[in-house]
Amino acid sequence: MRTALIAALALACSGIGLNSANSQTPTAFTIGGVVPLSGAYALLGTSMQKGAEIAIEERAKVLRVPIKAIWEDTETKPQTSVQKASKLLAGGVSILFGDGSSGQTLAIMPLAQQRKIPLLVTTSAADQITGANRNRYTFRTSSLAFKETRMAIEYVKKAGLKSVYGLAVDQPVGRDTWNMMKAALKELGIQSVGEDFAPIGSQDYSIIIDKIGKSGADGVFVVTTGSDTITFLKQAGQVKLNSRVPIFGTGFLDDDTAAAVGPDVVGVKTVARYHFSYDTPANKRFVEAYRKKFNEWPNAYAGHAYDGLIWFFDVVEKVGSWDVEKWVAEFEKSSHPNSVFGPAQMRACDHQAQGVGLWAEAAKGSAPYPELLLKVTSTFPPDHIYPACPN
Amino acid sequence: MSLVVIGLSIGMLLFLLAAGLTIIFGMLGVVNFAHGALYMLGAYVAYQIVQWTNNFWLALLFGPCLVALVGGLIERFTLRPLYGRDHAYQLLVTFACVLVIEEAVRLVWGVNFRAMNAPPSLAGTTEVFGSIVTDYRLFIIAFGIALSAGLFFAIEKTRIGMIVRAASSNSIMASCLGIDVVRLRTVVFMVGTALAAVGGAVAGPLLPLKLGMGSTIIIDCFVVIIIGGLGNIKGAIIGALVIGMVRALGQQFASDWINMLTYLLLIVTLAVRPEGLFNRRGREA
Repeated sequence: MRTALIAALALACSGIGLNSANSQTPTAFTIGGVVPLSGAYALLGTSMQKGAEIAIEERAKVLRVPIKAIWEDTETKPQTSVQKASKLLAGGVSILFGDGSSGQTLAIMPLAQQRKIPLLVTTSAADQITGANRNRYTFRTSSLAFKETRMAIEYVKKAGLKSVYGLAVDQPVGRDTWNMMKAALKELGIQSVGEDFAPIGSQDYSIIIDKIGKSGADGVFVVTTGSDTITFLKQAGQVKLNSRVPIFGTGFLDDDTAAAVGPDVVGVKTVARYHFSYDTPANKRFVEAYRKKFNEWPNAYAGHAYDGLIWFFDVVEKVGSWDVEKWVAEFEKSSHPNSVFGPAQMRACDHQAQGVGLWAEAAKGSAPYPELLLKVTSTFPPDHIYPACPN
Repeated sequence: MSLVVIGLSIGMLLFLLAAGLTIIFGMLGVVNFAHGALYMLGAYVAYQIVQWTNNFWLALLFGPCLVALVGGLIERFTLRPLYGRDHAYQLLVTFACVLVIEEAVRLVWGVNFRAMNAPPSLAGTTEVFGSIVTDYRLFIIAFGIALSAGLFFAIEKTRIGMIVRAASSNSIMASCLGIDVVRLRTVVFMVGTALAAVGGAVAGPLLPLKLGMGSTIIIDCFVVIIIGGLGNIKGAIIGALVIGMVRALGQQFASDWINMLTYLLLIVTLAVRPEGLFNRRGREA
């Protein structure tokens, strides 16, 4: 009798458990944000966070539940990035968002793959993210180094340069980008008259600048990032290098770095990963909301964060369920006709979004715009600037 | 020759940064890990003074004074209780100061890059042996030479310098002779801090002001003072010039080898003369 009673109780509890499992849907759509909020890339991470906040406020709900974000500071360190991503994944986030630097993003990609949780990349530009290291659960809605280098090559052709000097940061991305440019220059019959690879964090470029000035080059192609860009452009500007040897590069300059360089930045040309002035209805709406909340102009990190998340929310709503595999399948064939850049298309072969490329020049601005800013001077259609789909 | 001039300017900037570190170690026996953070603070304070007054010279004069007060507070409340104890405690407490200073700078100035320009009187360029060099770099060379001469004279030839050297050599005896060693240590730390801030103010027009800018420069400072000899001003000058020339030559002929050459020099110095080029070997019992 007693045994029968216990068995009946056990059966009833398992029935309750089953019913609970079936009826359990998450009470929130949780974004696990792994971004650098301190350290060398703090500006990048805080901007991504701000852009994401605008997207979350705009949509408020997905699948009829509120959207919430949990932010973890990676401190600009890859090992911290992995720890924080693991923590978020263990906590049951719906999607992982981040990281800032390419090295950190590459480090957390395997975790997303293991846990089968989508990882949305809206900043890191390393080709490997959607190239050699790509995986089923990682999607990138921002640009990649290959695209930016192709745009620089198109600029060299258009500008009719006969000789180019290369200055790159002494890292794989710097060397690979310059090698790609050098190969293209050779094909075009353009001379590469010199090259320098400066260690990351270099404090002084004066000798390199002197060499560039004496090389007879028609232009100098620069592959640096962040503070290295500012250091080089400041020191180059002090000797008016740009007036003798035009400076151009791949996404190494934005409004923030232009402001940090000062007036000597005027005339420097670059890929613009995003710009608040780009005229699309989605961008206007985003910029207005961003300025209202933060009282500043959004930069590329904020713009891409906003755009990428809005795209993903659209995909999830279209699927209409919590089935992650369906999200992945839908995302990889989706388009985003109303992105801040105009129409964008996700490539199923590598999960890289494809859209127009912006080319810009640093210029003086007037109120209410910043004193120094990028002005978009031309656009490149996506046809020739993305790598071929991998086999 | 232009290579020499540019190498000299790189070296002099390194000396400005390393001078304070070597004085603090030489006189107090403290390895000040917060030196890079104080250099960063000096740069930001100078930037702020320029924003208020539009005058770089006022920033160069008063910025280090303000940062020296911060140095005085650090010495009084964090280092003073730890003199005579294991060096590990001093390292830990100066590292803690780094974290506090970084957070304070982040709270006050935010995470964005800040820009500081050279004063208008030094914004021009001069042709030196076929190369274009900014007048600001020539100023750095002249300023560095003047500062190093002044420091050397103050420490070696003045009564105050003699008192400082005596106290660093034997603080108990110096105290018995009526020297207020406690106050002297605070003053020396403040001078070292002020020198870090001078380095920050001078570097401002050349480099972006950003969080963490001190963490890269502190390594260079340690390389300079280890090569020159810990606590030795003459050594710091020569060490800085050597590193400056190595950097300049590296940029000219093999820019991707600069770091390797610099650290190779450090390794060779440690292997051949670990006390530094200008320090005497310690006697072994």
